[in-house]
Amino acid sequence: MVEPLEPLLRVRNLTKVYTSGNRRVLACEDVSFDVYPGEVLGIVGESGSGKSTVLQCLYQDVAPTSGQAFLASYHNGEHSIFEADRRERRELRAHQISMVYQNPRMGLNLMVTAGGNVAGRLLAADWRRVSDIRDKASDYLQRTEVPLDRMDDFPAFFSGGMQQRVQIAKALANGPELVLLDELTTGLDVSVQAGVLDLVRDIQHTTGMTAIIVSHDLGVIRLLTDRVLVMKDGHVVESGLTDQILEDPQHPYTQLLVNCVTA
Amino acid sequence: MANVSTLLADRRAEFTGYSFAFLDDMAKREIRRSILKAIAIPGHQVPFGSREMPIARGWGTGGLQITLALVGPTDAIKVIDQGDDASVNAANLRRLIAKTTGATEVYATHEATLIQTRHRIPEERLGAGQILILQVPVPEPLRFVERSVAAARAMHAERDYAQMWLALYEDIVRRGEVSAGAGYPVMVNHRFIMAPSPIPRWDIPKLHHAQSLFLFGAGREKRIYAVPPFTDVRPLEFEDFPFDTEHFDGKSCIRCGATDSYLTESPREDGSKVAVCSDSSYCDDTLSGRKVVNRW
Repeated sequence: MVEPLEPLLRVRNLTKVYTSGNRRVLACEDVSFDVYPGEVLGIVGESGSGKSTVLQCLYQDVAPTSGQAFLASYHNGEHSIFEADRRERRELRAHQISMVYQNPRMGLNLMVTAGGNVAGRLLAADWRRVSDIRDKASDYLQRTEVPLDRMDDFPAFFSGGMQQRVQIAKALANGPELVLLDELTTGLDVSVQAGVLDLVRDIQHTTGMTAIIVSHDLGVIRLLTDRVLVMKDGHVVESGLTDQILEDPQHPYTQLLVNCVTA
Repeated sequence: MANVSTLLADRRAEFTGYSFAFLDDMAKREIRRSILKAIAIPGHQVPFGSREMPIARGWGTGGLQITLALVGPTDAIKVIDQGDDASVNAANLRRLIAKTTGATEVYATHEATLIQTRHRIPEERLGAGQILILQVPVPEPLRFVERSVAAARAMHAERDYAQMWLALYEDIVRRGEVSAGAGYPVMVNHRFIMAPSPIPRWDIPKLHHAQSLFLFGAGREKRIYAVPPFTDVRPLEFEDFPFDTEHFDGKSCIRCGATDSYLTESPREDGSKVAVCSDSSYCDDTLSGRKVVNRW
């Protein structure tokens, strides 16, 4: 008999309400899902549907209003990562969870060389041999197709596509358990988009990384994800296997979304 | 004790009209409390209420306030600037301290009980009873990697030094070595990264497991920190890029002939340069034939 697979991440009733004065803006409400090891989960929805908020909460850029997220490696999955103190949160980011932002400038330190950006994560994990760090950094930059002669240049002078590839290399260095990718191709032109998507797919196939990909682009979702959540107005309206959702959408909003692309 | 206080009263009356040791008693007590706290947490920067001093901030007010909080009439006080007892700044500070306390002014390192210094640790090994007080311009070692003071303090609190290591890594990648010459960052007691004040790399190993007490005072930045005796102090280094001190291969002091001390360059009238001991006490010792047996 096969042991049932334990989820890597369990998110329960995640809710985020932004308040400003007397106004309350609901970003997402009661979002629950599981992510299994080696799986790529997609979150799709129009802008303002709360999909990025879910990622930002998981990366702890913003504090959720309520809800829990249990990571298998954090206190054996017994405590929510939202209870982490500052030091634990830093450890989580250094070892377990990494983020690729839509805007590479959010995820990169532009005052530091491309190699240094990748090295930063290794240094945070207490690597103390320059040659090892350089080998590892160049390995990842090579994998993300950043030319090695640009390794010691500043990413501020790179094209958007190359910045995004450096950011992906940075996120993958030090082998995180979970990679969060937020609209990673939105700012790029179509041919560069294809290259970055190929890259992520190849890395996923070779490393078996677990990832959550947020996108409004159904093409990205179809290409990269195993399962998908559809969000509208802060709620999950439908979820299931990607093929199933895209071929046989049940919720009217999902039907509309799928029709928009195929029409 | 009786003769000390009599002496003290005599001297105070005799000398200036200022309080003993210039600062008022409450100020000295506050500074001493900060010093005790700093000693209790090696390498941690303790805030203190830096006073207005009769010299400008940036000229050693932090070191001076520590010295004045500790000095007694029976102390032997030595003040050096870049190793030199005779520089104008060092001479003025020493005179102020002696005038307001009656402490003895000395030049010889081994005779001093308190040594206030800028940019050097003496060549002669300091003993258990001696205190070295360093003047510090920038007490925050993370200043150059983190602009926000609040963020830097959080990094210390959480022992989150990845940014500092990244700066050293970038230095090695782009320049082939860590470029910090003076004030090379050190890890104190396996806990805090500390700015050792702008002493040369030559002096960094002297901080490690020393018999003497090191106190650091930053007057402008209002911080005191300390390295107590026998504390672990190690320069930050990568395994394959070990820390190294300055080398003076083949050079010797033009005055005393020493080849085993930290040398500075001194310009001559014809535009050429000669090497001379930075530590004037050590230079005098070598010149007079006194063998300095206690080396670091």
